[in-house]
Amino acid sequence: MNKISIFSIFFLMVLGGIAAFAQETSSLVSKETSITFFSSAPLEDIEAKSTLAASAMNIKTGDIIFRVKNTSFQFDKKLMQEHFNENYMESDKYPLSEFKGKIEGTEKLIKDGNYTLNVKGTLQIHGVTKPYTAAAVFNVRAGIIKATASFPVRLADHKIAIPSIVGKKIAEVVKIKVEALYKQ
Amino acid sequence: MRNILFIILCFASATAFAQEDLDKLIHIEDPKNEKVTATFKSGNLINLKTTETIHRNEMDFRVDHRFGDIAGSAGGAKNFFGLDNSTDIRIGFDYGLLDNLNIGIARAKGATEVRQLYEGNLKYRFLEQTVDNGVPVSVAFFGSTTVSGMEAAEDKQSAASFTRFSDRLSYVTQLIIARKFSSNLSLTVVPSYLHRNYTAYNDQNDLFALGIGGRAKVSNRIALVADYIFPFRKSSNKKYREEVSGQRYYNALGVGLEMDTGGHIFHLNFTNATAIQESQFISETNSSWGKGQFRWGFSIARRFNFNKK
Repeated sequence: MNKISIFSIFFLMVLGGIAAFAQETSSLVSKETSITFFSSAPLEDIEAKSTLAASAMNIKTGDIIFRVKNTSFQFDKKLMQEHFNENYMESDKYPLSEFKGKIEGTEKLIKDGNYTLNVKGTLQIHGVTKPYTAAAVFNVRAGIIKATASFPVRLADHKIAIPSIVGKKIAEVVKIKVEALYKQ
Repeated sequence: MRNILFIILCFASATAFAQEDLDKLIHIEDPKNEKVTATFKSGNLINLKTTETIHRNEMDFRVDHRFGDIAGSAGGAKNFFGLDNSTDIRIGFDYGLLDNLNIGIARAKGATEVRQLYEGNLKYRFLEQTVDNGVPVSVAFFGSTTVSGMEAAEDKQSAASFTRFSDRLSYVTQLIIARKFSSNLSLTVVPSYLHRNYTAYNDQNDLFALGIGGRAKVSNRIALVADYIFPFRKSSNKKYREEVSGQRYYNALGVGLEMDTGGHIFHLNFTNATAIQESQFISETNSSWGKGQFRWGFSIARRFNFNKK
């Protein structure tokens, strides 16, 4: 009996390990993640992009996460980049922006095709976390999932103050666009 | 029975494993040697220069102004606390050849015997502090050549009694070393060397000086700035000059507020230095805080961007 139980522990541990490994593959890590934002104001259009963002999703549970370092956003005008980090995002205090959420209906993503699914979750910017819902487009082809989504963010929601003197240069609501490419 | 328990336990652990946070799967690579930005907000503190440069294809237009003595025998209500006078005015343009290499030209009134100053300068920031402290400080070289366009003075003892063109020239070389200690505090040390081709009788042609300065943020857009410069003048020269001119030499001390309005940097400062240029305030600050001979000064800088898009 003793021998058998030791054997069965061993066997089950191996089995458990395999199961864990099999489960693990339902988590996909994005190889190319980019986040872009657009601000359109009467006096100035501003666009900045970070290609150093990171994302992962779980195709079974629908969990999805995005994270980006604020200082990795690149602007055409470097002075703007400095203002972005120093005056608005306060990147010293709040270095990361993060989205954590759930994709509704990920079971569809097993087959090739284009799907528009709702993603619900919370977005943390400038130390303030707010709930968001956005429709994301998933393009599935041969096990590779390309995801894109775009949604508006009101700066005041995240306690990012725009002084009135530059009010005509920075939009109150900026458009955020995220792109990710998940491979197994 | 036991076996069943094992099975349940093992599967439970496997499931827990699978639900392990996606957090751990993603990691953001820190950009290598990420540089510390905004050690200072502008290329100038009050009297001293900072390590900051403007970027490539940017132009900085800057007007500096120093009023007359606020208090003391030359100040007070009769000249509206110095606002009726201006001891020095400087108008300058800087241009970014590279992100860390700037050239500039300027015209200043001049606050000593030597006036009508035309200045050419260069600032090269060759070291930048990194976030990981691999490079702990930023270091910039600042050099300027100033030429006086005034008519030569007749008094042979005067610093302006030029006989040749080269007499009109003076040179400033500074090594600006700065560190951003936190997002709220940056400090700088500025070893300086000043060479004047021609000076007042029995004054020094070569003068070493040490400047110190700092910036402390009060809010996101407002900071306190201060700087102090200590020239190492030979005591024999100093004594002679003070006896002849009847004026004492003081070290320049400036304190002020710096406001960033997004594009504009507005300085509101107080200093005993009457001159704006390094070639003059380092060597010839004859006004004293203690005697109320400090003045209101301001500077307005505006950056223009010539990059496409």
